[in-house]
Amino acid sequence: MTRDPSIYHLKNIRHYYGQKKVLGIDHLDIRTGSITGLMGPNGSGKSTLLKILAFALKPTEGRIFYKGREESGFSPEVRLRVTLMTQKPYLLKRTVFDNIIYGLKIRNDHQNLEERVKEALSKVGLDFQTFSQRKWHQLSGGEAQRVALAARLILKPEVLLLDEPIAGVDAKSAELIRKAALKARDDWGTTLVIAGHDLQWLYSITENQVSIFNGNLFPTGIETIITGPFDKTGDPRFVKKPANGQSLLLKAPGQNEENALIRKIRIESLDQPFTDGINRLSGHIAAMLLEKESTHVLVTALVQDLSFVLRLAPDQVGSLGLYPGKSITLGFDPEDVEWF
Amino acid sequence: MDFIVEGFIKAVGLLINGDSSTWSAVIATLKVSVCSLIISTAAGLPCGFAVGYFDFKGKKQLRTVLDTLLALPTVFIGLVVYAFISRQGPLGEFGLLFTLPGIVIGLTILAFPVVTVITASTIEGIDPELKLTLVSLGAGKRHILFTCLWEVRYGILTAIVNAYGRVSTEVGIAMMIGGNIKYHTRTITTAIALETNKGMFADGIALGLVLITIAFIVNLSLSFLRKQ
Repeated sequence: MTRDPSIYHLKNIRHYYGQKKVLGIDHLDIRTGSITGLMGPNGSGKSTLLKILAFALKPTEGRIFYKGREESGFSPEVRLRVTLMTQKPYLLKRTVFDNIIYGLKIRNDHQNLEERVKEALSKVGLDFQTFSQRKWHQLSGGEAQRVALAARLILKPEVLLLDEPIAGVDAKSAELIRKAALKARDDWGTTLVIAGHDLQWLYSITENQVSIFNGNLFPTGIETIITGPFDKTGDPRFVKKPANGQSLLLKAPGQNEENALIRKIRIESLDQPFTDGINRLSGHIAAMLLEKESTHVLVTALVQDLSFVLRLAPDQVGSLGLYPGKSITLGFDPEDVEWF
Repeated sequence: MDFIVEGFIKAVGLLINGDSSTWSAVIATLKVSVCSLIISTAAGLPCGFAVGYFDFKGKKQLRTVLDTLLALPTVFIGLVVYAFISRQGPLGEFGLLFTLPGIVIGLTILAFPVVTVITASTIEGIDPELKLTLVSLGAGKRHILFTCLWEVRYGILTAIVNAYGRVSTEVGIAMMIGGNIKYHTRTITTAIALETNKGMFADGIALGLVLITIAFIVNLSLSFLRKQ
């Protein structure tokens, strides 16, 4: 019998808040022991997806398989193996020590608590003597975040889900959270799914990335998505006009399709000038970061309020002489657009 | 002005020397207020939790009724309870009129909405992250219930203290149902009303001091518990 390499398998997941669909995932696999980054703007459905993965929220429709077994009732057994740290983790109105052992008490595990709390606190860079007897209100934002992480790490979970773990914390706390999460994977084979906005931090810890937009999942990582409103042209094509007088032509969408995904974006150079019929947009480079696994460079370019992301090989970056702040001309074919 | 000062001096003497009628009123007050508080808390806490935690049809209407009951005039409660427990009333056979248990019934009706409404509001104010945090740490229904209650313990204490304040200072119910019978159903508040009418300020002030002391001790205990 072969072991299922996927710890999670999601099939045709749909979730609604009232009449509004907030999540629509046809298929998602998460490998055992992997570190997956979940990117997307606020309200895109990241937190909803994490709650579903934590078995804290039942999707309106769809099937979830955990280690190959379908989980429809969210049994206590499976809930005890997975833990989620929410964006603003709630600390119970008690001491740091009692907060950290809460999950163990639920599991009726009372063995060697002091030693284990000491170890959990050291993993997140907090001293046991200084912090264990502090009350919940005697902690800074970064310390509270790390205590919340320690309360999850002490459980040695099979899956650790982190929802924007470094939002509002200082650089030192962000680094300690990164190290602690990586150690959990290395020591116990914990599968990590981390949602976040800080791409540099996220790319420094995750092995693969998926992006989520309006509840739709893009398993290829960060994407360029253009949202409406769009204007109709004389021909079947649509046009989007950023504020500075430029315009983008896009092939016509299908029924109920509102957002455009653009993949084949290029930067114009003397060697490769754009031909007629290509959308040409003037902008500048806003950010560049290294993709850990592929060693490609993610280049974010801004054209007024529109953001375009390109994945370039390091030698391309070198030959084009790219650096943050440099003015560039972007181009893409109006037909190279996927609507959703 | 002198008679007030004299009243204070005499009041201290009455309390120190253990004046039997004064202490009888103090003990009657403590008995009825503590009994009614225990019953209203035992009934009001679960009701308040249910109203605050669950969503159900008619919840808004129920909240409106409970909020209205907060302002229920004590003489009206006295009148209704009197009608029920008087000899020709449906509970007349129990002989509760002009007894301390009769007063307890009235005070329980007074305190119940206070405990229920404040508990419900406290539960409604629970951070939504709390439940998600507990679920994500593996808590089941029982753990969620008890941890939620423990998290809002100060709000619940506030509900109980408020209810105690209401019942210990109440005069209408005690007067109508208890009848203000000396050494029997006379409470601090009914005694103060009577002594003032008689021009006996010292007795009134002595009882007033006891009432203030009780309120002070209750609030001191609350702030001590908060610090813990």
